[in-house]
Amino acid sequence: MSEDFNDSKTIQAQSSETISGGGATPTPDIDYVRPAELPDQDLYHGHSFITKWVFCQDAKVIGVQYFLLATFTGIIGLILSWLMRLQLGFPGAAGFMTAEHYYQFVTMHGMIMVVYFLTALFLGGFGNYLIPLMTGARDMVFPYVNMVSFWMFFVAVGVLLASFFVPGGPTGSGWTLYPPQAILEGTPGSGMGIILMCVSLILFVAGFTMGGLNYLITVLQARTRGMTLMRMPLTVWGIFTATVLAMLAFPALLVSALMMTLDKVLETSFFMPTILKAGEVLEYGGGTPILFQHLFWFFGHPEVYIVALPAFGIISDLISVHSRKNIFGYRMMVWAIVVIGALSFFVWAHHMYVSGMHPWFGFFFATTTLIIAVPTAMKVYNWVLTLWRGNIRLNTVMLWCLGFIVTFVNGGITGIFLGNVTVDVPLSDTYFVVAHFHMVMGIAPLMVIMGAVYHWFPLVAGRMLSEKLGKWHFWITFLGAYSIYFPMHYLGFIGVPRRYFEMYDSPYITSAVGMNQFISTAAFIVGAAQFILIYNIIVSLKIGKPAGKNPWQANSLEWLTPTVPPEHGNWGDKLPVVHRWPYDYSVPGAKEDFIPQTTPPSEVVETKVEKT
Amino acid sequence: MSSDPKIKGYEFKPGYSGMAADTASDQTMFKGVHWGKAMMWIFLLSDTFIFSCFLISYMKGRGSTPVEWPNPSEVFALNAFGVPVPLLLIAIMTFVLITSSGTMALAVKYGYERNRKMCGWLILATAIGGLTFVGMQAFEWSKLIHEGVRPWENPFGAKQFGSFFFMITGFHGTHVSIGVIFLFIYAYKTFAGHYDKEKRGWFTSMKGNYVEIEILGLYWHFVDLVWVFIFAFFYLW
Amino acid sequence: MSEIKKEQTTTHKIGIYLWIWGLLFVLSFFSYMVDWYQFQGLLRWSLILLFMFLKAGLIMAFFMHLFWERYALVNVLLWPMTAIACFVGLMVAEGKYTLFSRLFYFFVGGS
Repeated sequence: MSEDFNDSKTIQAQSSETISGGGATPTPDIDYVRPAELPDQDLYHGHSFITKWVFCQDAKVIGVQYFLLATFTGIIGLILSWLMRLQLGFPGAAGFMTAEHYYQFVTMHGMIMVVYFLTALFLGGFGNYLIPLMTGARDMVFPYVNMVSFWMFFVAVGVLLASFFVPGGPTGSGWTLYPPQAILEGTPGSGMGIILMCVSLILFVAGFTMGGLNYLITVLQARTRGMTLMRMPLTVWGIFTATVLAMLAFPALLVSALMMTLDKVLETSFFMPTILKAGEVLEYGGGTPILFQHLFWFFGHPEVYIVALPAFGIISDLISVHSRKNIFGYRMMVWAIVVIGALSFFVWAHHMYVSGMHPWFGFFFATTTLIIAVPTAMKVYNWVLTLWRGNIRLNTVMLWCLGFIVTFVNGGITGIFLGNVTVDVPLSDTYFVVAHFHMVMGIAPLMVIMGAVYHWFPLVAGRMLSEKLGKWHFWITFLGAYSIYFPMHYLGFIGVPRRYFEMYDSPYITSAVGMNQFISTAAFIVGAAQFILIYNIIVSLKIGKPAGKNPWQANSLEWLTPTVPPEHGNWGDKLPVVHRWPYDYSVPGAKEDFIPQTTPPSEVVETKVEKT
Repeated sequence: MSSDPKIKGYEFKPGYSGMAADTASDQTMFKGVHWGKAMMWIFLLSDTFIFSCFLISYMKGRGSTPVEWPNPSEVFALNAFGVPVPLLLIAIMTFVLITSSGTMALAVKYGYERNRKMCGWLILATAIGGLTFVGMQAFEWSKLIHEGVRPWENPFGAKQFGSFFFMITGFHGTHVSIGVIFLFIYAYKTFAGHYDKEKRGWFTSMKGNYVEIEILGLYWHFVDLVWVFIFAFFYLW
Repeated sequence: MSEIKKEQTTTHKIGIYLWIWGLLFVLSFFSYMVDWYQFQGLLRWSLILLFMFLKAGLIMAFFMHLFWERYALVNVLLWPMTAIACFVGLMVAEGKYTLFSRLFYFFVGGS
């Protein structure tokens, strides 16, 4: 590739002038931004269809590719959840559904939604698209590695979906894949299914590492002039911290997946204790299943925040833009993200209170878990205080934001229940847990994704999405999601166990029958409502209202590109120079209610801007 | 290598005040650190977590098995002149790896001094050291396999001994092998003068630069570093 | 970047590398001696760990140049190790507990 790399294909940079503005008018001292440390980035510009749209090195195209593939897998996850709900609400209605199928669907739904949908969408999709634009970089620092990252993800998804078609089907051991049952006969998909799952996870981690290195180094080492860490939009902070977590947490997943594969293929006994099966002692012996749980949750708990932190970041920006107010306590928000990220490595075993681990661990992990509630609550207060007396635009994006705050508080509070050992023990393995984590890391981040799609679609496509359809989409999803998960808390309290294929004739559970039917019906409706968004996107691509430049009157850099949608290289021939944080909304004394990040101080001398 | 990039206002300042200034600044957080070098460091951090997880698993597995763990200094003993010398091969392997680490460090130094020939020869020496290490590891594996140790069983005691041994040294050996391949490639690139001519890389569009030698060096030293831990925990424990 | 690098890179004297190299050999030799003389118990453990951390520290500080790097980089690299330290500590306790429960329920308390 280096052979056909000639200078006609690179952007010739002229961004190393010493003082911003330059030219005939000398700029005043207050506008001084120190010169660029590094020469401009060379970029490889593709010319053929393949290098432009398939094996593309442009982070924006890669972001869209990630987004589309993740959405595709997400829809598969959605269909699986429909099938599960069909069985739970109306047992036997789906004729082909056996208990084995049910477990396989549970497993694949969980794994797809957590890893291949939410993680890939937030970090791969939004991260790739937004990080270079928001930090004022031309592209990710290693575009080629970035491209490979997406195609690794593609292969990982392929391997994952291939497990549907192997003998025995995909693994049915629950998304946590606990050994010994995950690899023993009797669990559906304990043959090829679990092997393909592990291989797919290993590929995902490898691919994600490549992407993650890109995001981190872009944020750390490739910001534009004037862009300090404390002037970055919270979106970038959220994605950045989540990527740090991913880089440090995915190794544990990689190791556990590798060891599990060895246990299955080579019959090593890392996780396998001595097992009696039908009176016969198996070959395994001496391993510790609980080690897998520790490794898995050492990954698994940061994973929750890998999904949540980008959501936190994005929602902060959306709320700020659409209530025309600076984000309340920006620095606290940043520190809260960082602290949550750091603490997330010290709480993992609160998922294992009933696992038979060391009994004293409960003290440690309950304490750290409850400490995490402090920065999280701080963030919620700050969102609400940002809305407080803001000039709120009650558009679709804002609706999703409000929906997120409510849902997140709801899921967060049940999280405090479950963080306490004594409360967790009776509630664990009931639908209360299902309701909790779907609220907090299913619905809440999904609301953010929806809000973000409505917010940034004009940037990607140059056209607005339909507000009317958007509002239908929101209300059906919001009310529907509550109809699904609110009753589940009650189901949990009366003791309905999760992961059961059917309740059969359990007398204490008869009251759950009607509720299950209600939940299932709501689930069908909510799932179907998501296709409103897809319809909206397809239609708006063609006939949507042209967005023009900066339709939301936002401050952050991604809206300030010379062309909308931005082209490869993002900034034309001159990189932007940043003079302020991205939250100067409704500044007293300013002509308009927003001051973009590139506005030099000399233009807004008489206003009361925050010093950032 | 030492990072004082002479950026006005961000001269090297030791300690936390320097760190605060760097962190609060715009554009870059690690002043004067090449993108590739920063990437390699973060990657190595991630890789550290991988090896830590392996070693933690090993510790947990070994600590909780009631079956007797084989004594490594007997298992890994080698007969020299008819006398069993404990850990003889391991000692030689350690020696070889540290030697190669030293030549790599010198290669980085000569690279930055733009001494192309010296740098190239030292990289080649490092590669040969790495190759020797992999060869001796293959010998060690075959010896153990000969004695009946398998990933799934172990005649000397706990089953997990074989599993962890083959997995951890295998993973480390894979790292060494990948490093050796890259060392040969970089030796070729150095001798061919890619770094002096700033020739662009094969896949990336980045210009060649002697900092790449340092990046490769970081990886190689990391491999050595991991071996220090494996040596202590697996062979001496 | 290359233009900047060319003039600015300063290298260290060769002596320092040779010293570190020599020290690494000596420390490896010492840790080998721990096994040779079959020290046992706490002495063995503390010696192994001491030599291990000294070697690791020397490699990181001088061969990987961390000693000369800025604090920003050094701190970013070293703080995450607290998570590992926590993991190690808890797994030591967990390993002991697993062993205890195995011995207790299978050999002592078992039927």
